[in-house]
Amino acid sequence: MAPLAALQATFLSALLFLGTDCGKALSEPSQLAPESLKVSINTSQQSLHVQWTVHGLAYDEELNMVFQIQISRMTTFNVIWVENYSTTVAWKQVLHWRWDSELPLECTTHFVRLRGMVVEEAGTPGPRPWSNWTSWEEVDAQKSLGPDWLFVFPEEKLVEEGSNVTICYVSRSHENNVSCSLESAPILGEQLSPNVSVITLNNVSFIRKTGTNFFCQMEQTHTVKGSVLFVSKVLEEPKGLSCETRDFKTLTCTWDPGTDTDLPNYRSQHYMLFEAFSGENKSCEHKDSCVWQVAPGSQETYNFTLVAENFFRKRSVNIAFDLAHRVRPMDPFSMSLKSVSATGATVTWKVHPVRDHFTHLCQVELHGEGKVIQQHNVSVEKDGQRPFSELEPAMEYTARARCAAAEHFWKWSGWTGQDFRTLAAAPSEAPDVWRDVKSVLGSCNVTLFWKPLSKSHAHGEILFYNVAVESLHGPSGSKLFSIPAPAGGTEVALDGCSHRILVTANNSVGSSPAAMIVISGDPADKEAEEERVEPTEQGFSVSWKPPLEDVVGYVVDWCDRPEDAPCGLQWRRLGPNSTSAVIRSGAFRPGVRYHFRIYGISPQRRAFLLGKKTGYAQEEVPSDLPQVLVHNLTSHSFTLSWKDYATDSQPGFIRGYRVYLKSQAEQCQPEFQKTVLPDRSVGCQYEINDPEQKTLVMGDLQPESSYEFAVVPYTGAGEGALDAFTKVTMPDERSHVLIRIILPMVAGLVVIAILCYLKSRWMKEMCYPDIPDPYKSSVLSLLKPKEAAPLTIMSVNDCVPDALEVVKKPEGSKTPFPGARKAAPDTARIRPDYIYLLPTESSSGPCICFENLTYDQAAPNSGSCAHVLGPHEVPPSQLGLPTSAESLLKPLEQNYVNTPAEAPAGETTLNYVSQLASPVSGDKDLLPAKPPEPEPELCCEYRMQMALPLGLASPSLNESSNSSPTALLGQEYHG
Amino acid sequence: MLPAAREPAAGDSWGIIACLCTVLWHLPAVPALNRTGDPGPGPSIQKTYDLTRYLEHQLRTLAGTYLNYLGPPFNEPDFNPPRLGAETLPRATVNLEVWRSLNDKLRLTQNYEAYSHLLCHLRGLNRQAAAAELRRSLAHFCTSLQGLLGSIAGVMAALGYPLPQPLPGAEPAWAPGPAHSDFLQKMDDFWLLKELQTWLWRSAKDFNRLKKKMQPPAAAVTLHLEAHGF
Repeated sequence: MAPLAALQATFLSALLFLGTDCGKALSEPSQLAPESLKVSINTSQQSLHVQWTVHGLAYDEELNMVFQIQISRMTTFNVIWVENYSTTVAWKQVLHWRWDSELPLECTTHFVRLRGMVVEEAGTPGPRPWSNWTSWEEVDAQKSLGPDWLFVFPEEKLVEEGSNVTICYVSRSHENNVSCSLESAPILGEQLSPNVSVITLNNVSFIRKTGTNFFCQMEQTHTVKGSVLFVSKVLEEPKGLSCETRDFKTLTCTWDPGTDTDLPNYRSQHYMLFEAFSGENKSCEHKDSCVWQVAPGSQETYNFTLVAENFFRKRSVNIAFDLAHRVRPMDPFSMSLKSVSATGATVTWKVHPVRDHFTHLCQVELHGEGKVIQQHNVSVEKDGQRPFSELEPAMEYTARARCAAAEHFWKWSGWTGQDFRTLAAAPSEAPDVWRDVKSVLGSCNVTLFWKPLSKSHAHGEILFYNVAVESLHGPSGSKLFSIPAPAGGTEVALDGCSHRILVTANNSVGSSPAAMIVISGDPADKEAEEERVEPTEQGFSVSWKPPLEDVVGYVVDWCDRPEDAPCGLQWRRLGPNSTSAVIRSGAFRPGVRYHFRIYGISPQRRAFLLGKKTGYAQEEVPSDLPQVLVHNLTSHSFTLSWKDYATDSQPGFIRGYRVYLKSQAEQCQPEFQKTVLPDRSVGCQYEINDPEQKTLVMGDLQPESSYEFAVVPYTGAGEGALDAFTKVTMPDERSHVLIRIILPMVAGLVVIAILCYLKSRWMKEMCYPDIPDPYKSSVLSLLKPKEAAPLTIMSVNDCVPDALEVVKKPEGSKTPFPGARKAAPDTARIRPDYIYLLPTESSSGPCICFENLTYDQAAPNSGSCAHVLGPHEVPPSQLGLPTSAESLLKPLEQNYVNTPAEAPAGETTLNYVSQLASPVSGDKDLLPAKPPEPEPELCCEYRMQMALPLGLASPSLNESSNSSPTALLGQEYHG
Repeated sequence: MLPAAREPAAGDSWGIIACLCTVLWHLPAVPALNRTGDPGPGPSIQKTYDLTRYLEHQLRTLAGTYLNYLGPPFNEPDFNPPRLGAETLPRATVNLEVWRSLNDKLRLTQNYEAYSHLLCHLRGLNRQAAAAELRRSLAHFCTSLQGLLGSIAGVMAALGYPLPQPLPGAEPAWAPGPAHSDFLQKMDDFWLLKELQTWLWRSAKDFNRLKKKMQPPAAAVTLHLEAHGF
């Protein structure tokens, strides 16, 4: 473009130069020359407005003239535009001419000049010369820019998408520090002059309706200036122009305007409708439609031109038609139904009048249950009607109609519809009834089931069901039950099973035909064996053999929920020629065992069982593992048994069992196969293919070895989870011998233990007699009331055995003893033995010792000695005798001690008085070194042996208690 | 002396609970807490503050949508052009010392005047917007801003300050604007939203400061339990 413009400018310059010379040469006084040239700028349109007058025209003279206009940019020599402008010129007429500049006019100075020439007319002699050029008129918009540092031109511009735009910026800074961007993208300009740069944007595209932003920024002053380019989309030709009338009064033309080219600030897209025959036009209010008023009764044919126009373009389309061929009637109205019965109705409607003798073609449709049932075409001038027949009773229908011009079909009107419902009628079919019979002791409990009648058979809302029961063998007469809807069944208890049952469905109009079933109570029903049926993709394929007797049909029944009660009995009726059926149900679930019963229906409506089928919609692996018991355990074998395992209640048919055996040896028995178990260990597997075989003898096992086994059932879907093994340890071979020895031994020990228990008292006496406890002596209770001072019990450990002096006596001295011993038995049974140690009257020493000889028998060295602390607090002394215990005890046994064996217990009334009262003196340690010597001052010596009654002994105790300490020791020997 | 201040003895917890119950029973009768009269300007200041924060949040969304509608560079975060042609907008920026030196009345007056002008300009913005959705958002925001203006007027009335009277002929009214280039118009829109944002930020500070100032001192809520026989 730029080289072409330069070439054009050069050519024009040369032409003008020549023209100028020629003009001068041909200049004549009568020349008509332009004058008063004025040039102004329209910045919004970026155009130069040139105006001038022509000097030399006579009054009322009009001439055709050509004006040659030159435009230079920056300098007068840089001519960029030359144009010849022809017009008619009158006297004193101001002529106008406009030039649109591609470059914003503010970017640089422009110069304009022109000259004129009268155009030759026919009959005028010779060519007329050009007038002289006017002087250059300068237009400089920069002078009025103001004091800013930076300007961007144009400030805004509306362009069409795809066009080129030239933008310039004027900088008043000496430094070239202006950066420009289009939206966010930096863009470089071309320098037009030292402070003006020009940027040309080619093929601009639409970005947004608020315009494309171009802005420049001066770094020094942070000045931002910019302009907004409003890019309009290209106007499209209207598509699908179509005109029609609904009433012969208005024509409505519609079209698709395509892309909207309007922008918020620049709205220019508009449409005009021209009619060629009448020459009329109309500006359309909408961008996609226009309404044309039809002149009454005059024009039949129309030729329309639709013109679309915006700032940049004008597009037009044409359409010609006969008005009578473009009639689309108004929608029908006042539609109603009359003569509505159970099976018929008549629909009526009206149409809007179009013009005289105009016939409508109306289409009438009858809709029922969402589909078109009937469709009819009817010619209508004013009112239309159409009867419908063969309708279903008590059914919802919709009648609707639409109309078009019958003579010249153009388009259908809209639909107008009306809903209606036919009247009810008696149900047309008997309900589908089935039964479940349970016979108990000659009577039958019959559960009746029936399916609700379909809408097309019910002919109205079913209100109740009548059930009539008639005995086949008993007295005539029937029982009638009325079951209100929507019940789907009832229970009937029959007295005797042979009955006929009739069931009818009733609505408000009447009863349906009766459905009849006959209950015979035939026990043959229970004898049919249940066969397995395999599922298919379609369902359970059940087949049967036709019976020998006549049948009018078959019934297959089953339960949707076999585990529940009620089980949801379902049935399906089949024709007499059927021998198979595919049973499908949405209720079938995997892992549930379904049972199908096939009945034949006799002509007397008696149902007899033909067969039973059972199957799974989809088998699953067994959910339960059997409880396996181990029997007959020997050192080489054991028997596994799982007889309680219920195969019928599994989610699949049990096909068999797999017995897994694990041992440390990892050796399998001959009939076992080696296999890898789920825990990746190696085991042995034995497969039982008979689901009823529920025992297995495991032989050839090693004694004293451990085995683990598991029994897993399997179905068609696979085997159950192998998760737990049971451990069995094989017994030793000699274990039974050991048992024969150990058992008698244990029995003997038990006998011994029983004997020991029975003789425990004897054993105790023999082995560990009770040790007397002085604190538990009854003597203490006797002494308490009389003793003011606290009683002190002598500790056995603190005593030394009494010193016994062995006195040799003559034989006769022994005589009193036998007498005394003889007298003892009378009192021995009353009181226990007491051995009293009494002080003598003469004794003043604090120590009196005694010895319980019986006690000492068991412990010879632990002689009991009571030493009582007197007022003088003389420490107790012990007299140790260098005699052995035996030597001490012997005489005592013989002479002084009454053992239970020798002396009767009654001798406890006898008091024993120690014959020796050792003086207490010295330290215990000194005893061995210093033999004891009798000290009359401290110890009394009493040698008289006498038996004192208890009553006599007591006072002396009391008396001596204050003066001399007394030690008491009472021992209940036999407790 | 309060019984609760007694040296707690073993098994005395029931006594302490009884004392606390008695104190709670008498609380409604404590004069410092028994404020059933005029609540003062506190609640209305709080409401004004809350509304300011809500508008700040609302404007964040609206400004984002509108600046995208204007296109780059106006929706670029670092675009900060000189404030040309927006002289009629009240400036929210003020020196900190100057701001501190303002009294409550002056602050509230400036807020009221600023939002009166901004609301007027915003309505003009709404009229110009071409997108229906944007117009709805702007109308909603204008309603909220009108509410803020009323709320400020309420605070001023509660504090006894008169509303600023518009000068004759200086009634803020939006006019289409003479010979304004589209780019400059976009700049004005940009500055309107920016000033509005700054004003809302400043107002939040103003009302927060006023709220704290108007809060009753904590010492006023002292329980004078002795007066009730404790």
